[in-house]
Amino acid sequence: MGSLARRPDPMRLPRIPKSVLLLSCLALSAAVPWIASDYFVMMCIRVMYFGMMTLSLCFLAGELGVVSLMQASFFGISGYFIAILQTRYQIPFPIPPLVGIGVAVLFAALAGLLVIRVRGIYFLMLTLVLGQLVWALASQWASVTRGDSGITDIFAPVVFGISTEQSKGAFYLFQLVVFCGVITFLAALKRSPFGLMLRGVRDSETRMAMLGYPVSLLHYIAFIFAAFVASIGGVFFAYFTGLINPHSVSLTTNVETLLSAILGGIQTLFGAVLGTAILKTLDLVLSGITQRYLLIMGILFLIVIMFAPMGAAGALKRLWDSIASRPSGDGTPAKGATEDSFYEDTQ
Amino acid sequence: MSLLVTMSLLNGLTLAALLFITASGLTLSFSLMRVVNLTHGALYMAGGFIGMSVIKVTGSWLMALLAGGGVMAVLALLEEKFLLRWARGNDLIETLISLSVAIIIGDLVLVIWGGYPRTIEIPEILSGVWTIPVVGLIYPVFRIFMLGLAILIIIALWLFLKKTNLGITIRAGVDNFEMVSALGINVRRLFTIVFCLSGFLAGVAGVVGGTFMMLVVGEDWRILTLTLIVIIIGGLGSLGGTVVGALITGLIYSFATAYIPEFSLFILFLPVAVILSIRPHGLFGTKA
Repeated sequence: MGSLARRPDPMRLPRIPKSVLLLSCLALSAAVPWIASDYFVMMCIRVMYFGMMTLSLCFLAGELGVVSLMQASFFGISGYFIAILQTRYQIPFPIPPLVGIGVAVLFAALAGLLVIRVRGIYFLMLTLVLGQLVWALASQWASVTRGDSGITDIFAPVVFGISTEQSKGAFYLFQLVVFCGVITFLAALKRSPFGLMLRGVRDSETRMAMLGYPVSLLHYIAFIFAAFVASIGGVFFAYFTGLINPHSVSLTTNVETLLSAILGGIQTLFGAVLGTAILKTLDLVLSGITQRYLLIMGILFLIVIMFAPMGAAGALKRLWDSIASRPSGDGTPAKGATEDSFYEDTQ
Repeated sequence: MSLLVTMSLLNGLTLAALLFITASGLTLSFSLMRVVNLTHGALYMAGGFIGMSVIKVTGSWLMALLAGGGVMAVLALLEEKFLLRWARGNDLIETLISLSVAIIIGDLVLVIWGGYPRTIEIPEILSGVWTIPVVGLIYPVFRIFMLGLAILIIIALWLFLKKTNLGITIRAGVDNFEMVSALGINVRRLFTIVFCLSGFLAGVAGVVGGTFMMLVVGEDWRILTLTLIVIIIGGLGSLGGTVVGALITGLIYSFATAYIPEFSLFILFLPVAVILSIRPHGLFGTKA
């Protein structure tokens, strides 16, 4: 785990090609509504909003070393508030999403007070319970949430004079902007002094506490940031699907998020997006063939955890490293360097 | 006391009895192996359904109870031997493995028994009602029986842990795991035994719970949530804490179901929050 910091960049790519690569990637994603089918656009939208939830889980896993099973609660809370404010009280556009995100963050601030006290499997257990309680509220508080059938007819707003309800392409572009913003935000957070402190806490909590860092406060803030990101995903979910029901805050959704995170590689932001894309594609393929989606998901989950806990991004990274290390050939033991615990000393 | 209050009190006690049976198995396996076995809810549900099928064939409720418990013990054995042992030592991976097994079992139950709610028929001897002498209230005999069964299990577990050799070894393993294995005791076998016992208790609870409540797909997660709340409140790894936690959870849930049905589960956020903010490791828990 701690090898991230001391690991030398195996590629040492010049700065410019990397940014060119990034820009062309961005340009390509921005061009999707014009070059791809509507179906693909809708798929991308789905991957992006679920991706934000996965990103929040990966952020917590990567920076705090904890696995949360309640990210869907924040996702669902913002979605539910949009639905309630819009369909019951007819409140105009910018307010429902803002209130939704606000309430989700507030709930995170409340739940965070409890969860920062525990680590490891206690954290997993406690977030599972809190997530289930939110699900119970969504399903039982029928006078407000309409119970298991959920709230329908949530219409996407008109932004800058463009109806995102009618134009899926416009919806896609707006979401892409927000999505890139979220990724930039999380990446910046990871590189910031705050992110470095978090990593320090993850690797050695006692040492950081000894050095005088407010360990619990750091955990608390990171938890709230993660909830914030998940709740943004919930906004787009509610607007895009037009309905919200207890399934969106259920344990199944939470486990799906965790599965996509593990599929992609739980410690990287790229892995979160990759994993969500893999799982949602799989979901689409399987739902056409079989009713046993949960069974297959469970088996897949089991296999991935047992045999490839670093996920697809981890496997890709290893492949990338082995390709990248070949031409360098300057005697550095780049291949397998991370596994070699004496690597630092031999330099 | 009004009728509603008395009824809620009694219902709370019987629910607490059920929760104790499920939670005791979970807390036992946790305290030894440091794994929160998230399969527990699924074992409860599958045990209940197996009991239901057995009673249809044999007609004997006792057979159903033993079959439900027995099959779940075997299932737990297989899970421990072939899956959890793979990741021994990494408690997070072990817990996630148990989560995936729970999903698999949950869906298999749906395939085999379908999605309609079922109940297990109450046996002849235990059906009927009983008038409680002092308050003059009519109450099903079966629920009284459940209370008795829970108390019996509390005593049996307590005797097992305090008096038998195996129980003493288990307690020693809970307190100082390395020392026990250094003394030459087969810890692997100890793990398997405790896991089987825990699965057995889950299956028994499933048959009992299926008799006085409904058995339906989705029940596994509800029971797991309640059970986890019980051990969060009581403190992981403490049998006494499990009794207290089950009482608190059962009573609050039952009163909330009577008075504020829309919040009957969510209200449990309150005791969890209050107890965790005062004692992060539960009422009787010790810092791991």
